[in-house]
Amino acid sequence: MMSTKAFTLVSAVEWELLAGDKERVHIECVECCGKNLYVGTGDCVVYHFLLEERALPTGTATFSATKQLHRHLGFRKPVSELRAASALNRLLVLCDNSITLLNMMSLEPVPSGARIKGAVALALNENPVSGDPFCVEVCIISVKRRTIQLFLVYEDRVQIVREVSTPEQPLAVAVDGHFLCLALTTQYIILNYNTGFSQDLFPYCSEEKRPIVKRIGRQEFLLAGPGGLGMFATVAGISQRAPVHWSENVIGAAICFPYVIALDDEFITVHSMLDQQQKQTLPFKEGHILQDFEGRVIVATSKGVYILVPLPLEKQIQDLLASHRVEEALVLAKGARRNIPKEKFQVMYRRILQQAGFIQFAQLQFLEAKELFRSGQLDVRELISLYPFLLPTSSSFTRSHPPLHEYADLNQLTQGDQEKMAKCKRFLMSYLNEVRSTEVANGYKEDIDTALLKLYAEADHDSLLDLLVTENSCLLTDSAAWLEKHKKYFALGLLYHYNNQDAAAVQLWVNIVNGDIHDSTRSDLYEYVVDFLTYSLDQELVWKYADWVLQKSEEVGVQVFTKRPLDEQQNSFNPDSVITCLKKYPKALVKYLEHLVIDRRLQKEEYHTHLALLYLDKVLQERSGANSKGVEATETQVKLQHLLQKSDLYRVHILIDRIRGAGLPMESAILHGKLEEHEEALRILVHELQDFSAAEDYCLWRSEGRDPPYRQRLFHTLLAMYLQPGPAAPELAVAAADLLNRHAANFDAARVLQLLPGGWSVQLLRPFLTGAVRNSVHARRTTQVALGLAKSENLIYKYDKMKLKGSSVQLSDKKLCQMCQNPFCEPVFVRYPNGGLVHTHCAASRHTNPSSPGPGTRT
Amino acid sequence: MRKPDGKIVLLGDMNVGKTSLLQRYMERRFPDTVSTVGGAFYLKQWRSYNISIWDTAGREQFHGLGSMYCRGAAAVILTYDVNHPQSLVELEDRFLGLTDTANTDCLFAIVGNKVDLLEDGTADSQEKEGLGPGVAGGGSSGSPKVPKQVQPEDAVAFYKKILKYKMLDEKDVPAAEQMCFETSAKTGYNVDLLFETLFDMVVPVILRQRAQGPPQTVDITSYKTPRRTRSGCCA
Ligand SMILES: Nc1nc2c(ncn2[C@@H]2O[C@H](COP(=O)(O)OP(=O)(O)OP(=O)(O)O)[C@@H](O)[C@H]2O)c(=O)[nH]1
Ligand SMILES: [Mg+2]
Repeated sequence: MMSTKAFTLVSAVEWELLAGDKERVHIECVECCGKNLYVGTGDCVVYHFLLEERALPTGTATFSATKQLHRHLGFRKPVSELRAASALNRLLVLCDNSITLLNMMSLEPVPSGARIKGAVALALNENPVSGDPFCVEVCIISVKRRTIQLFLVYEDRVQIVREVSTPEQPLAVAVDGHFLCLALTTQYIILNYNTGFSQDLFPYCSEEKRPIVKRIGRQEFLLAGPGGLGMFATVAGISQRAPVHWSENVIGAAICFPYVIALDDEFITVHSMLDQQQKQTLPFKEGHILQDFEGRVIVATSKGVYILVPLPLEKQIQDLLASHRVEEALVLAKGARRNIPKEKFQVMYRRILQQAGFIQFAQLQFLEAKELFRSGQLDVRELISLYPFLLPTSSSFTRSHPPLHEYADLNQLTQGDQEKMAKCKRFLMSYLNEVRSTEVANGYKEDIDTALLKLYAEADHDSLLDLLVTENSCLLTDSAAWLEKHKKYFALGLLYHYNNQDAAAVQLWVNIVNGDIHDSTRSDLYEYVVDFLTYSLDQELVWKYADWVLQKSEEVGVQVFTKRPLDEQQNSFNPDSVITCLKKYPKALVKYLEHLVIDRRLQKEEYHTHLALLYLDKVLQERSGANSKGVEATETQVKLQHLLQKSDLYRVHILIDRIRGAGLPMESAILHGKLEEHEEALRILVHELQDFSAAEDYCLWRSEGRDPPYRQRLFHTLLAMYLQPGPAAPELAVAAADLLNRHAANFDAARVLQLLPGGWSVQLLRPFLTGAVRNSVHARRTTQVALGLAKSENLIYKYDKMKLKGSSVQLSDKKLCQMCQNPFCEPVFVRYPNGGLVHTHCAASRHTNPSSPGPGTRT
Repeated sequence: MRKPDGKIVLLGDMNVGKTSLLQRYMERRFPDTVSTVGGAFYLKQWRSYNISIWDTAGREQFHGLGSMYCRGAAAVILTYDVNHPQSLVELEDRFLGLTDTANTDCLFAIVGNKVDLLEDGTADSQEKEGLGPGVAGGGSSGSPKVPKQVQPEDAVAFYKKILKYKMLDEKDVPAAEQMCFETSAKTGYNVDLLFETLFDMVVPVILRQRAQGPPQTVDITSYKTPRRTRSGCCA
C-alpha cells in the first residue's frame, strides 16, 4: 500500500525528565489541556508540565516540556486516569477507585475534599446537557456491579444525578448528550440514560480483547469490532461510515480529522475516515496510551510521552499529488473544507484541482482532466503554454509559480511519442473550442483563438475556416506567419479580410487561382473571388480585378457587375462605365445588357438597340459559321426575336438596314410590324415564310391594345392577301377559311361575304357564318336594350324638369345665399335640387374650390 | 458527508459474490476480490436521491455486525450462489434474522449469482433429477440428495417464507417473481436490472418515510405493532 506522510512522531517528555534520580517510573495515564500536560504514574504521582511548541519550516514542529509541579497523592496505588476541566480549573484524578479534584495549577486538592467514590473508569461528557458552564458532566463505571453513575462536578463539590444499571458488566464508556456508548461483556450498546432505552450495536467478546469506545464527534462513536475492525456507530445504532481495518491487537484509538489513529504493540497506524484506506504506519514499540486532546494526539509508553504532529493538509495533499494519487488528494482536500477558512480553502482547492487536472492530462485522461480544469477555473493559457509555439509571441502570460506541473512542454510530457502528441493536440482543440465562448476566455481571447487557429491549421482541420469567417480574436501577425508556414493561403486571405485587408486577401486568392501558389482548400476559388468582389464595398478593388475576373470567364466574371447590390450600380458602377469596361468582352457585354434591359428594365434606347445589334451580330455569325440552313431558330435568334417584339425602344431603322438581305424573314417581319408596315410584314410571313399561324399571331400581336376597327383592318388585310389569285391559291384558300372560322369576331361579315369567291360552300364556312350571324344578332339586341334604357333615362329627366318648372321661387331680404350668407340683390340665382339658393357667382366659385361643402348638384 | 436518503444492504454467505455484484454495477468491471472485511459502502445517486449500498462480509466472524448494518434499511438483497444450494440455506438460517432491524416496510430481493457457471456441460444433466420440490429452499440441508444447483422456484419459495416470517401479506408486497433475480457479476447479466429495479422501488419508500418524518429512535413496543396490523386489517 502506498503511504502518505500525515504525521510525524516527536518526543514531548523524556524519561529522564520524569524519573530524575529514581530507578523506576511507570506512566499510567496522560492528560493535555492547552499547554498543560499532566502525567500520572504507577507510583501515585501526578506531574504537571508546560508544553512549548516550535514550528519547523518542514511543516512539522518540535515540543519541549518544562516540568512545573508534581504531587504524590498519598496512596500506594497507580494514578489510573486524569481529566482536566479547564473551566473549573480542576484536574480530576482517578486513583484507588476514587476521583479527587485538584487545582490545575497548584495540584492542591480542593479544600472541601469533594470526591467521587467507587469509580472504576470515568468519561467526561463533551456534549453536555446541563447547560451550566460551571460544572462538568462525569460518567463513571461504578465498582457496584452493572452500574453506571452520572455526576455533575462543580469547583468544589460533586453531585450525583443518575444511576443506571446495565444488562451486563460495563467495561468502557463514552458519553454524548444523553447517550452512553457502552462496551459490555459480550456486546456494545447505546443507552439513553434519560429514557432508559437501549440499542444493541453488535456483539463483541471482551474476554478475548479489550474493548475500545471512543467518541469521535456529535452522536458518533468509534468502537473496536471483531477481526480488528474499527466500527463507526451513531447513537441511533447505525453505521454511517465503512469500518477501518486495524490489526487484531489494537490497544487504543484516537481521531485527528480526517484520520483515525490506532495503536498496537508495534505500530501506530493511520487510516483515513474519508476512504477507509490505511495511509501511514509508524513503528512504535511498547506504546500503551493513545489519546487525542482537542486535536492534539498523544501516545505514550510507560517511559515517555510523544506527540503525533499532523503535517499541514496542504503539504499532505501536495505529497499525494506528487505521487500522482489524484483521487486521494482530492478526497483529502474536500474533507479539509471544514477545517480551513473559506477563502483560503477555495484558493487552495482550485490549485489542487488544477494540479490534479495536469496529472490526469499527462496520463491522457482527457475527460477527467477537462472536468478538473473546469472546476479548478484553470487559466487556459497554462495549458496552451505546454504546447510549443501556440501562445502568440505578444502574449504576456507567464506560468504560475510554484508550477502546477513538472513538464516543460508537450515534447517532454509525451517523450516525443507522436501519437500521444496528436491526441493531446486534439484534446486542446476541442477544449479551446469549448471554452472560447465562455467566461473562461475572458481577458485572453486573443491567446485562445490564435492557439486554436494554429492547431487547426497544423492539423488541416475544417474548422479553421469556420473560425476565420465568424467572430474571432486571432492575432494578425502571429496567425499570418503560421498560416503561411502551413501553406493555408486561402485561410490567410480570410484572415486578411477579417482584418480589413481585402486587397491583400484578393491578391492572395488570385495568386492561388493563377497557380502561382498552391492551396487546394477550395476548388471553386475563382467563383469565390467573383462573389467576394460582387459584395465588396471597395470599388477600387473591384475595378482593379475586373479585367482579371473577366479574362478568366466572361460569363461568370460579369457577375461582379450584374449581381452587385442595386444602390451601388447607380453610382460608381453606372452602366456607362461598366459598358466601357466590357468593350473587350462581348459575351460579358451581352450578359450585362441583358441585365440592364431584361432584369432591370431600363428604358434607354441605347441599351436596347445595342443589345439587339449584339444579338443580331451573333445570329449572323452563327449563320455563317454553321452554314447548314438550320430550320430551328438558335437560342440567340429566339432572344433576338423576343427583344424585337417586346421592346419599343430600339432604333428600328438601324436594324432594318442591318438585316436587309441577311435572310432573316421573321425578324424583318417583326421590324416592319414595328413600323406599322403591315402589308409588307404579312407578305413576308405569308409568301416568303408561308407561316400562316405566324401571320395570324402577327395580327393579334400588332392589334394588341388597339381598338376593334384597327384589328379588323389587320385581319382584312391578311384575308385579302389570302384571297389574291396566284400560284399558291389553293393553300391560301384553306388558310383563308381557317382564318375566318377561327376569328369570326375580328371580321366585318358583310364585307367578307362580298370578297369570297362564289364557289365556296356554306359548309366550309359554317363556324364563321354562325359566329357572324350570332354576332350581328347580338349586336342588334344590345343596341335595342341600350336604346330602351336611354329613352327611359330621358323620361326621368323630363319629369324632373316639369316638377321644377311647376313651383315659383320668392326672393326677399330674408332669403340669404346658403354659401356667403348675403342677401340676393338681383333676381338671378342658382337653385339646387334640395331647394337651396345661392348666388350664381357663389355656385361658380364652389365648383372651382372642391373643398367647400356643396349642397348638391346644380340644376 | 452527504447524508444518504435510503439504505440498501447486501447480505449472504461468503464467496457468493456480493462484492463482485456491487463492483460490477458501480464500476462496470469484474475485478479480483478479496473476502470482505467488516463492510464497505457506496453512494449511488438515483434521480435526486442518494442511496447508500452496503456490502457486508459473509464471513462468520463478522456475522454480528449484520444487524447494525441492516438497521433502518429500505431494502435487503439476500444473495446466494446458484451453484451452492447451501448458500441459499444459509440465507434462511443465518441471515434472515439479521434483517429484524430493517425498516418495517423493507423490501427483500433474492439474488442467485454466478449463473454464468451453469453453462458448463454438466449443468443440464443435473438439472432435472437432483431437485425435489422444496429441498433446496426448505432448509433440510441435511438431505443427502442436495442438488448441485438451485432452481428459480427455490428462490420463490424462500421469498414466500420470508413473507411468512415477517408476517406480511403477499398482497401488500411486490410479487415473488419480481423480487427473485438470477445474475452474474462476471458477465453483468441482470446486474443493472437488479439494482435499478430496487432503486425504483426504494424511491417511493423514501418519499413515504419523509412524509412521516424520520423516526429518531425506534421504540420496541411500537416496533412490533405494524406487523400485526398489516396482516390483521386485511382479513
Ligand atoms: N463465475 C463467477 N464468479 C463469480 C461471480 N461473482 C463472484 N464470483 C467470484 O466469486 C468469488 C467471491 O466473490 P466475492 O464478490 O468476493 O464474494 P463476497 O460475497 O463478497 O464474499 P465475502 O466478501 O467474503 O462475503 C470471487 O473469486 C469472484 O471472482 C459470478 O457471477 N460468476
Ligand atoms: Mg465481499
